[in-house]
Amino acid sequence: MSDIADISNSQEAIDLAQAEKGASLWQDSWRRLRKNHLAVSGGAILLVTGFICLLGIWVGQPHDAQNLDLGATAPSAEHWLGTDMLGRDLLSRVLFGGRISLMVGLAATFVSLVIGVIYGTLSGYIGGKVDAVMMRIVDILYTIPFIIFVILLMVFFGRNLFLIFAAIGAVEWLTMARIVRGQVLSVKNEEFIEAARALGLSQARIIFRHMIPNVIGPVIVYATLTVPAVMLLEAVLSFLGLGVQAPATSWGALIKEGADAMEEYPWMLLFPGGTLAISLFCLNFLGDGLRDALDVRRSKD
Amino acid sequence: MKSRDLIKLLLYGLAMLGGGVFLLYALSGFGNRPRLIDQGVKDKILHMGNGSEPSGIDVHLTTGVQEHAIQMALTEGLMSEDPITLDPVPGMAERWDISEDGTVYTFYLRDALWSNGDSVTAQDFALSFKRALSASIGSEYSYMLFPLVNGEAYFKGEVEDFDQVGAKALDDKTLQITLEYSIPYFLSLINHHSWYPVHIASVEANGGFADRSNTWARLGTFVGNGPFVLHEWNVNSVLSVRKNPLYWDADSVKLNGINFYHIESLDTEERAFRAGQIHKTYKLPLPKIPHYIAEKDPRLLNAPYLGTYQYALNTSIKGLDDKRVRKALSMSIDRDSIVRNVTGAGEFPSYSIVPPDCAGYNSRSKVEYDVPEAQRLLAEAGYPGGEGFPKFSILYNTLESHKSIAEAIQQMWKENLGIEVGLENQEWKVYLDSKVRGDFDIVRFGWIGDYVDPNTFMDLYTGNSGNNNTRWASKEYDSLVVAASKENDPEKRLEIFQKAEEILVDEVPFIPIYYYMSTYLVDQRVKGLYPNLLDHHPYKHVYLEE
Repeated sequence: MSDIADISNSQEAIDLAQAEKGASLWQDSWRRLRKNHLAVSGGAILLVTGFICLLGIWVGQPHDAQNLDLGATAPSAEHWLGTDMLGRDLLSRVLFGGRISLMVGLAATFVSLVIGVIYGTLSGYIGGKVDAVMMRIVDILYTIPFIIFVILLMVFFGRNLFLIFAAIGAVEWLTMARIVRGQVLSVKNEEFIEAARALGLSQARIIFRHMIPNVIGPVIVYATLTVPAVMLLEAVLSFLGLGVQAPATSWGALIKEGADAMEEYPWMLLFPGGTLAISLFCLNFLGDGLRDALDVRRSKD
Repeated sequence: MKSRDLIKLLLYGLAMLGGGVFLLYALSGFGNRPRLIDQGVKDKILHMGNGSEPSGIDVHLTTGVQEHAIQMALTEGLMSEDPITLDPVPGMAERWDISEDGTVYTFYLRDALWSNGDSVTAQDFALSFKRALSASIGSEYSYMLFPLVNGEAYFKGEVEDFDQVGAKALDDKTLQITLEYSIPYFLSLINHHSWYPVHIASVEANGGFADRSNTWARLGTFVGNGPFVLHEWNVNSVLSVRKNPLYWDADSVKLNGINFYHIESLDTEERAFRAGQIHKTYKLPLPKIPHYIAEKDPRLLNAPYLGTYQYALNTSIKGLDDKRVRKALSMSIDRDSIVRNVTGAGEFPSYSIVPPDCAGYNSRSKVEYDVPEAQRLLAEAGYPGGEGFPKFSILYNTLESHKSIAEAIQQMWKENLGIEVGLENQEWKVYLDSKVRGDFDIVRFGWIGDYVDPNTFMDLYTGNSGNNNTRWASKEYDSLVVAASKENDPEKRLEIFQKAEEILVDEVPFIPIYYYMSTYLVDQRVKGLYPNLLDHHPYKHVYLEE
């Protein structure tokens, strides 16, 4: 008996107690995620960045206020990150651009998440011929070249921020649907689904109450990896001049402007480029951490 | 993240970095590989940047500067021009007579050949003029030939028999041109590409004689009479021409060929120049201009250029159909600031249409920079403080410098008038198409003189000019421009131009912004390429010095 008394003072005992209390998957993952310092600091930096970008509306100068006589100046006390060729404050432009870039990232990921999860779950759950047809549709959609697709959209509907969301989301959900379908296929024959069926639950209830929560782990991970992918896509579009319309700007558009003037005014490339790079790093670290934390099979630590 | 992952990440980073460095190295030409321009000097091939992909090389169907740069190599008109003074010198015409009253020109053609061996005849010219004046071809430049007797009537279908038009082949080598009135600069006027000849047999073999969709002007079917022949044409990359051995003056052509590179980004082009890929750039990116000027780089060529950078307004749409609105838009642009801070090559702000000192003409009328008055006009038109103003967009062809200027003006309108306009960029050919179809609100538009006379700017905005896409027309203005053409006294003529310009400045069918400078880089081994007002460089005088 004395053995047990010893253990009860140690960390393991607390874990054991928590396990007995029935720590949910989420608490468990959260605990594992917290141990991953890279992922946590990545997430924290992202939150702070997002917060500053949002607050940037109220502090500082408007992103489109020009001072033509000032022109491009290096970072100074008045303009922390310098100004661009039309004398616009680069800090406010980076913040404004961050709002667009992050918004595009989150919104397009959300669109792809909603479509992808529903489509993939239905396809995997129903199975059979329906599954085959639905997956062939995805295959066909995969073949559409993204840039041409976006240019076509722009030609027909004109340039519009929401169109960019829609276009990116419409392309990104494909992979999501495949991942979800794979997960559903593997969960479909588990006992708890059998049990749910045996209890006579409706199909919808089985899908939304039992299926989706059990496949959500990989989905969240993939979503965090989609955000940087989408932000990069937006940057590509802006770089090609298909992105947001001036005077609005995004990190991609700022980088394009900076790249054009990088020899004369290096700060115009350095700051937006650095900000985008840091954000993408953070998102990737966070995604990596979440993958480790949510993967039940890897929970040996 | 585990340390193993971190190492992996670092390795990836290193690999990427290494790849990047390798790529840069490869791009810079592996150190000692001969640069294209050095090879070019050896082979006597001129490599030059030439803006965006040309919309074509058919002399009757183009309006752009980069198209003209190629046409000058492939085709020669009755006259050619001096590379320095731009004075007309004999081209296809060996000599000519002018009647006492200056209305009848008789050109005696030399024994010249087309690049397929056919001889160039007076009939070729007469038929080419007929083609340019055919309404069905939809040439924007038809009006250039309206001085011909019955030229305008033929274009409008009032005269159906081309024999009644003042362009007759008296025999194979004699061409008689009869004008409605005497034009002092006529020999310069016919240097323009709308007066160039086309090889009629090739045109007819590849579609209708006056059909816009004719496919003769392509690689393989194009036949020219210029110092060079079409050799290779890769869309969005390079169009190359090689020396034409059949050209009448082939002995004085010193180059073996020219490669025209079509690079839409000025930055890429400037980098290509520094990497030794091209001898001459088309333009210079705005951020680089002040640096080249400050360093007094001998490769920089910066000369006044007879052209007006402007925004043409679509006067048929609501809002812009109101003269007061157009005036307000024009009056609220601080042009001084734009040329000083945005363009920066020493351009002059433009307050009307004709560039200063154009053949002795200086505009008197000008639009003032007057924000309070602009606000008053806008309020009077029903949009006080920009309230309820329709959302317009500025259309420009994709180029960094156009974007910077448009952004500056966008902000001036926002601050001074409280109105929001959008920006829209299109690829060159699409842009030209939108502009001609009138599918725009406000369109960026550069008008470069076709010859050194105010008339080339004045007749741009006449009602029958195919280049006037504003839908604005004024009978009074048109008749003044015609009256000026008919006036023989030079001073009175310029006085009539002043009156006509007053109408333009008052009606504001377009917003002038600045007068161009031609600013580009030329390798110092390129000789015989002289700065001049039209930026024309007859290629037979150009050579490369080792």
